[in-house]
Amino acid sequence: MSTVNLPRHLLASVEKPARYTGGEWNSIVKTVPEAAEQALRPFLRYAFCFPDTYEIGMSNLALRILYHLLNERPDVWCERVFAPWTDMADRMRSEGLPLFSLESRTPLHEFDLLGFTLQYELAFTTVLEMLDLGRVPLYTADRTLADPFVMAGGPVVYNIEPMADFFDLVIIGEGEEVLAEVVECYLHWKASGETRTREGFLQAAAQIEGVYVPSFYTVTYQSDGTIQTIEPNRSGIPATIRKRIVFDLDQAYFPTRSIVPNTEIVHDRIFLELFRGCTRGCRFCQAGMIYRPVREKKPSALVSQALEMEKTTGYDEVGMLSLSTSDYSALSELTDGLLCELTPHHTSLSLPSLRLDNFSLELMEKASSTRKGGLTFAPEAGTQRLRDVINKNITEEDLLKAMELALRGGWSGAKLYFMLGLPTETIEDVEGIAHLAQAIEKLYQSLPRFERPKRLELSLSTAMFIPKPFTPFQWSPQADTETMKSHQMHLKDLLRHSRSVRYKWHEPKQSYIEGVLARGDRRLGVVIEAAYRGGARFDAWDEQFKIDLWLDCLKQAGLDPNFYARRERTRQEIFPWSHIDCGVTEDFLWSEYQRAMAAQTTPECREQCSACGAQCFGGGVCYE
Amino acid sequence: MSETFIVRLRFSRQEPAIWLAHLDMMRTFERSIRRAGLPICWSQGYNPRPQMTFALPISVGLATAGDYLDMSLAEDLDPYEVMDRLNHSLPTGFAILDAIRVAPAKASLMSLVRAAEYRLETPGLAEAVARIANTQPLVVEKFSKGKMVEVDIRPLIEKIQLKGPDCLEMRVKAGSSANLRPDLFLKALETYGDLPAAAAADCAATRLALILDSASPASDSQ
Repeated sequence: MSTVNLPRHLLASVEKPARYTGGEWNSIVKTVPEAAEQALRPFLRYAFCFPDTYEIGMSNLALRILYHLLNERPDVWCERVFAPWTDMADRMRSEGLPLFSLESRTPLHEFDLLGFTLQYELAFTTVLEMLDLGRVPLYTADRTLADPFVMAGGPVVYNIEPMADFFDLVIIGEGEEVLAEVVECYLHWKASGETRTREGFLQAAAQIEGVYVPSFYTVTYQSDGTIQTIEPNRSGIPATIRKRIVFDLDQAYFPTRSIVPNTEIVHDRIFLELFRGCTRGCRFCQAGMIYRPVREKKPSALVSQALEMEKTTGYDEVGMLSLSTSDYSALSELTDGLLCELTPHHTSLSLPSLRLDNFSLELMEKASSTRKGGLTFAPEAGTQRLRDVINKNITEEDLLKAMELALRGGWSGAKLYFMLGLPTETIEDVEGIAHLAQAIEKLYQSLPRFERPKRLELSLSTAMFIPKPFTPFQWSPQADTETMKSHQMHLKDLLRHSRSVRYKWHEPKQSYIEGVLARGDRRLGVVIEAAYRGGARFDAWDEQFKIDLWLDCLKQAGLDPNFYARRERTRQEIFPWSHIDCGVTEDFLWSEYQRAMAAQTTPECREQCSACGAQCFGGGVCYE
Repeated sequence: MSETFIVRLRFSRQEPAIWLAHLDMMRTFERSIRRAGLPICWSQGYNPRPQMTFALPISVGLATAGDYLDMSLAEDLDPYEVMDRLNHSLPTGFAILDAIRVAPAKASLMSLVRAAEYRLETPGLAEAVARIANTQPLVVEKFSKGKMVEVDIRPLIEKIQLKGPDCLEMRVKAGSSANLRPDLFLKALETYGDLPAAAAADCAATRLALILDSASPASDSQ
């Protein structure tokens, strides 16, 4: 085992060197047993890899949980590896330094297992950059016994096909239990001695429910480019891979001795995970489908976790993480409990974005008793018709009622999130966004001077809708970039006289490539590699993204991006992700797609079960 | 307002903590104090902060063997207990070396700083120092308040002592009115003493001590 020495001039010349130097409170350093000892009792060195900067990666809950979970075992040492920012990566290349772990500065290629968590498709090229800088062969086919196994997990892996050639194995679903089984399987394989092969470990791992070994499946295509078959190419390999979930979140492992970063990160506070999943069923939302069914933690467990973590971390702020936090059934009990316990210690509670329909003045006042956080509303679409299409069951009246409460409560504004390019969108829907903002302005003016803030400040942003796998819109074409650009300009024009509105938008070109990758197949692997070789990395960062490079690479590979992004699929089409089973059935998704096209809404899980299929897991909200 | 008790701590920072920016270090100390469960006083106002003051900012990459930090406590704790509890709560690279009680004074800790001693280590230092021995003045460019200004650093240097061909110790003016940072001194060595840029970039710098106003009780050990 070797250690990467970081010369002073290197660290002194890069932005935020503390990203690379580790040593944080609660980070874990272990002693690696000698080779001779390991022959008797194998030891696993695991690198948790996050394909973005330290600040973003350290804000990821999966990393926080799995890092400590793995390190609970005496025969495993899990360390962290983040993508070095471009300045550092370039310097490392020119000085011939390999990518290293934060805890022991061990080169990436010396680890046994690398576990990447993928939160967005635009991180794909950064994964290749990390492997390459870490001296790990990019392709699974080129790796030998001397190389690590490269794994992936996270929401993006529900369609990992574009990256299928780079990952040895993929974990579908929540990692807590299945990762422990993979580790056990690895240690067993490592103990098998000289005769062991990579194939042997992958064969064994593929028997674990939730583990997908892409190279064990062969994909064939029809002449029109769509998929003909996806089949196992070895015996004893399952035809479909079902996601894994954890049921009893109160009993599930949750680390209370969490790492405290030395340099500021995006979510620099104590995290509480209130629940997993979401009952709402918004039709554009992949997380809302793949994390089903909803499972909650008890408020008493959360309060004691917060108190414990306050002591072990020294943080002075507690935040709540979940898909739609205000849907938590015991939110009031939880916030009361937290405020009562935390306020005497100068610890504040930061309230997350709240939904409009169950928005309450009481909750807002609670938040303001500590620090007045921002308010975030996501109506997503500008007209009732389009909100019905996407099943975002919010009315204009809800929004105005909530805004009135907010303005009277002393808030001077809110962030409003919308999407452009939703299926069936017309110019009226785009104009509806401006009308909503103007209705809020009118509301503000109608309030008596003493009952409203001095100024109204609305921050309105639009993101591009991207159809994702395992959503009702997986069959739907993505809107074209030119139309989106003109819709954006139109909206900007409509808002030019609304002085209290600040309009921000997301770049449609980036969304186009994200759309291609999201519903892409294995043929895109060479495109991703070519883009990486051409200089693509950190594609999710506006200033790093190179659209022309991507379009060139697609062209070179003879692939039409519109085939992936802009094509409407038929009910019969086999998707690149058809062998993955997230519980929610294709029949349900299709019926939701049909209801969407007819602008019919579907009630949320707690109102009425719509038989999505997630009941098959045997727990959660389905059985409450 | 209730009575507050000030404890002055002398601390060191070494690898890897030397790579923290000053603001990061302040946050790190705040959290360490909370983990140690020390009864720190909080500032008044909209956004209360724990009350502590560093004698002098420490730039990124600089180690220290003896900087000072004052913290206000709501209880009269034994300074050594404060030191001990904090030493069990600080991340890798930080250590509290000494702690004393000081009387609440009108002058802030920052205003007491007079000079600082540094050790610099990099190949070719002694030769470069010899070359600037008679350079008068030593004008270097410095980024200050948003623009580049020229400063003569000669008057800021009190003493330079060579410890070998690649090592020196120096005493320079420090504090809010006149302050010389080691990077600026290295720039002068590069400009006037032909110190290779690579040697300057790789120079390890440690603040050995901060010299406080002699009227201050911190210079007496307890």
